[in-house]
This record gives sequence, C-alpha cells and structure tokens, in this order.
Amino acid sequence: MMVGRMLLALVACACVVTGPAQAQEASATKQGFTFPKDGPVRILVFRPEVRVGEQSTAGMNQPNADWTDSARRNIADALDKAQAARANDVQAMPELEGDDGKLLADYRALFRAVTDSVVQHKLFVGNRLPTKKTEFNWTLGPGVARLGQIGGGDYGLFLFTNDSYGSAGRKAAQVVGLLLGAYIPSGVHVGYAGLVDLKTGELVWINADVAMGGDVREVEGATKRVTQLLEDFPQREGAVPVAVTKTAAK
Amino acid sequence: MIRFCSVRAELVEALTFLREKGRTSTGSVRTVLSAVTLSLFCATPAVAQKAGDARTAPSLADYQPQGVDERGLWMEMAEAERVLKTSDFVIRDPALNAYVNGVLCRTVGADRCRSARVYVVRTPYFNANMAPNGMMQVWSGLLLRTRNEAQLAAVLGHEFAHFEQRHSLKNFRDARAKTDAMAWLSFLPYGVGILAQAGMLGGFFANSREMEREADVIGLGWLTGAGYAAGEAPRIWSQLCDEQDATAAERGRKSKKDKNGGFFATHPNTADRVAYLSTQAAAAPAGASFAGAAEYRAALAPWWPQFVDDQIKLNDFGATEFLLAKLAADGWTPDLLYARGELYRSRGAPGDMAKAAGFYAEAIAGGSTVPEARRGLGLALLKTGDDERGRAALSEYLRAKPDAGDRAMMAMLAGES
Repeated sequence: MMVGRMLLALVACACVVTGPAQAQEASATKQGFTFPKDGPVRILVFRPEVRVGEQSTAGMNQPNADWTDSARRNIADALDKAQAARANDVQAMPELEGDDGKLLADYRALFRAVTDSVVQHKLFVGNRLPTKKTEFNWTLGPGVARLGQIGGGDYGLFLFTNDSYGSAGRKAAQVVGLLLGAYIPSGVHVGYAGLVDLKTGELVWINADVAMGGDVREVEGATKRVTQLLEDFPQREGAVPVAVTKTAAK
Repeated sequence: MIRFCSVRAELVEALTFLREKGRTSTGSVRTVLSAVTLSLFCATPAVAQKAGDARTAPSLADYQPQGVDERGLWMEMAEAERVLKTSDFVIRDPALNAYVNGVLCRTVGADRCRSARVYVVRTPYFNANMAPNGMMQVWSGLLLRTRNEAQLAAVLGHEFAHFEQRHSLKNFRDARAKTDAMAWLSFLPYGVGILAQAGMLGGFFANSREMEREADVIGLGWLTGAGYAAGEAPRIWSQLCDEQDATAAERGRKSKKDKNGGFFATHPNTADRVAYLSTQAAAAPAGASFAGAAEYRAALAPWWPQFVDDQIKLNDFGATEFLLAKLAADGWTPDLLYARGELYRSRGAPGDMAKAAGFYAEAIAGGSTVPEARRGLGLALLKTGDDERGRAALSEYLRAKPDAGDRAMMAMLAGES
C-alpha cells in the first residue's frame, strides 16, 4: 500500500535532518526570446497544479481541500491581474473531453518530464549536460500546436505549486530540534512555471524555486507567490531588458 | 470542531507506548514533554477531526467526506482520477466495462455500487483497488487470473469493503499519528527512541493487516449474499500461492507465498488468507453456488489474447506456464495453445522453438482464429531451419492480416519482397 511505503520512506530518513539547500538559478529564458512588439500576445493558461496541505510532525503531507480551493482561486486571480498589467491576453485552457482530453493530458505529462529535466540540468549549474552548457533548447515538439488551435492561444503557460504548511507539532519539533542541535525544516513551498511557444513547441521560459514565499491561502500571499513565479517573465520586444538569469541561493 | 492540542496527543501516545513497553526511563520523555509544553503551541486549535462520529457510509448516495483529513484525501483522489480518466492504460471497451460493473453491482447491491466508478486498467499484475472517493481500478492481470465470475466478485467485494469501511482514511490517520510519535521518540537518547519507534511501526502494519482481514470477511458476506459460490474466494488465493511457487521454482528462489513480510507486511500472508476464508466459506448458506465460469469466459474472450500477451512479456516463464496449464484444466483450447507457443518462442531456450512450432500447429489445426498463430509458426519454423514451411506460414499470416503493422518485416522474412 502507498501509505505503507510512504511510512517506510519517512522512517528511513528518521527525523528529517537535512543539509543546507543547494544553490540554484531561479529562471532561464531562451536566448533572445521576446514577445512581438505590437499586436496581441495570447497566453493560454493550463489548469494550474495546485496542492496545499499540512505537514505533520514527522513530515507527512495531509492534503487540505479548503486551502487548495482558495489557493487555486487566489492564484488564478493574481495571474489575471499580473498578465493584464503586461498587456497580455490571458485565457484559461478549457476542460477537454475524449481524444482532445487525452492529447492535453499527454502534453501536460510531457511538459512535466521536460521541466524536470530543465530544472535538473539547467537551473542546477553543476548538473549541466555537455551539449546544453549554454544552450536553452528544450521542446515539446510541434504537435503541441493542436492545443493552441483548440484553446486559441500563441503561448501556453503551465504553473505548479505545492505547499505543505508546518503543523503545530512540526513547529514544536523544530523548536525542540533547535534545542537539541538538530535542524528540522518546517513547511514545503515549491513552485514552478513554464512558457511554451504553441507554434513550435519550444520551451521559451522557465522559473522554479524550492523555497517560495507568499501564503497562497490568502489573496495577498497568492499575489506575492505569482509575482515570484513570474519573475523574469519574457517581455515585449524593445521593452527594458531584464537579466536572463538570477541566482536565488537560499 | 477543535481537537485538543495535537502535539500533546502525540506525546501522550508516545508516552503511553513507552510505559507499556517498559523500555525506557520516563525521565527523558519528561524532558521532551516539558520542552514542548514550554513552546506553547498547545494553544493552537487543531483542524483535524475524528471520524468516530460518522453515522454514514461512503457508499450512501449523499455521502460527503467529513473532516479536514477525509476531505483532503478525496481531493487528492479526485486529482488522481482526472489523470486516470485520460490515461492510455484505461480500457474503454463498453462491453468489458459493463460486465465488470455488473458483477460489482450484483455483489454489493445496486444502491451501493452507484458510488463506485470502475476503471479497467491494462496492467499485467494481480491487483484491484478502490480509492476513498469511489474510484475503483481493476487491473487486467487480475482479469487474466480469476477463472470465473464468482472469483472476480470476491475481489471486487473485498475492495469495496475497504471503501465502505473507509480504510484508506484510517490508514492515513494511523500513519500520521504513529510517525508523529516516532518523530518525538527520535529525540530520545541512547537508542531508546529507536526501539520504541520500531514498536510504533509494527503497530501500523498490524493495523493494516487487520483491515485486510476485515475487508475479506465483509466481502465474503456480500459474495454469498449475492448467490456466488463462497468457496471461490479462498480459491483465488490458493491459485496465487501456486503461481508464486511456480515463479520461485523457475527462478530457484524461496516462494513468496509463505513470506509474511513479518513486521512490514501490509497484508496477511497468502496461506493465512486461504485458511480463514475457507473456514468462513464452509459456513456459507447452501444457496450460494453460482460460479459463472462460462459467463466470465464469454465476457473476457475479446480481450483474452491481449492480456495473455502482456503476461508473456513479463518474462516470468514459470508463472506463465503454470497459469496457462491451470487455465487449460478443461483442455487446451486453440487460444491457450497459441499463448503457449508465444511463451516458448519468447524464451527461446534450446528445443523451445520446435515445441513452440508444435503448439502453433496444434492451435491452427484446432481452428485458431488468431492470425498471429501463423506468424508465430512461421518464425519458429525459420528458427528450426525449416525455411520452406516457415515462409509459407508467414505468407498465410500476411494474407490473414493484410494490414499487419509488421507487414514489411514479415514480407521480407517470407521472401515476398
């Protein structure tokens, strides 16, 4: 059973004493990519993967439906506002059924696999692959254009957030741990976002962070989270250039 | 609802446990306790809610998950179901789905079964499961192994009993409470905590085995209530025992069937289950005698060659040979002979190709309608050096299946191009 395996994994790492988090770069953009200077930039937002729960004393996540619901709503609102401020046209990808639904599910899964690879081999500088030392060339393939036609968009935005707020017990354990000289992190706050060119399938921008700020359960916190997720989001051509990458050593 | 401080609850649990075991001085526990109490987190209202006051079962039409933890689990499972719905592993054949769903409804009753959403999943292992929100998965490896409707009903009833009794939720709560207590125990010095932690962990797995037993008992009750032959329930497990023996014998290892997994077992061991299910089955009412072997075979027929092919690709010769022999208890049908040919040809040990060619030939002589039987015959004959007959068989295959995906390769081997 899954819970059984989870339990063994928890026990294997005894009381979760970890070393300092590794340094990573927070984002990366395809070289020279900008949105066209004029005309609409139509961005399709794929249903964000949002999970919010509570972290037990031992580190298990207890999913929380209410928190997840509010986070989902708050993040969607904040995203609308953030993109409106950039004069981009944001549309939610409609729910799809049948073969289209399967196609969408396939591309979500592919996006996840590619993103995991980018996070691993691009954002963590030491892990860069020999052929991708300086390049940023990842793609989901031109077949993704079909999703652009279905949803009516030029770019696809994927978002993922996973939060587990430390329970009272976890925080207490953290305090006791400090007294006894053990480091016990409280809370998990991971997020990433990626933008795909729906004409070519190329991944043009990615932003990932394993220690994000902003309490997504609150409107204000979600706004802060979205601002962080969209840090270094591509600009329109001719806009004030922004740094391609930014180090976010925690 | 406000539960009294979760931290304190965990500590009380840990403390009680330690006292019971008598393995530690309470002094060190007190140190931790006072440290935590000082941290004042006990004033925080806890959000979790005990489910002991639930008067309803999840199989009721208007059932809503109760409490933060159950609602959280339902949400997680709803997300998982979104993914499953679009999975390529789900077999959407309406006839097969209607059959499996029908067996479930007959077993647990029309009212209860409305709360279940059944997905037949193409995975060649023996398993089925049901999530807290009513999402039920039935794996194709299970459908290949159960021999009749009553056996399928026994497994579906067992899984439904887990659902009705909300075992996932109990498991989750138990895991959370015990790992939390273990986290506190890990602060204790001199390995005292580790011993106590081990005890906690054992407690979790014992509870899990207890739930399996409960689901077995409830499931068997439904099975006989629906008029199915009760003796089929323990038979599934004895078949699995024998299959595990066959795998072990082929691989020269100890059979899994006697391993109870000891401390870490989430399920009772297979031999144990056979014993207690047989006892309960013997006491079942006399009217319960429907096995439904013919109905089952008819419903599975269109999918059977695919499922057996998936099984062969597991590269578990011993178990597959055993399984085929058991299915052939009433005689080797052309389908079974074809499957056996595929099995021997895929192993390809000395002498296997000649045997495989023999099985394919028998299947064809018996009226096999599977075009791939001729392909297998052709390929096996080519390997044994009988080029002429081999090429002829491949040509027959291509005539029987003009749109074969491997046409180009087979045509080349047949000397047609």
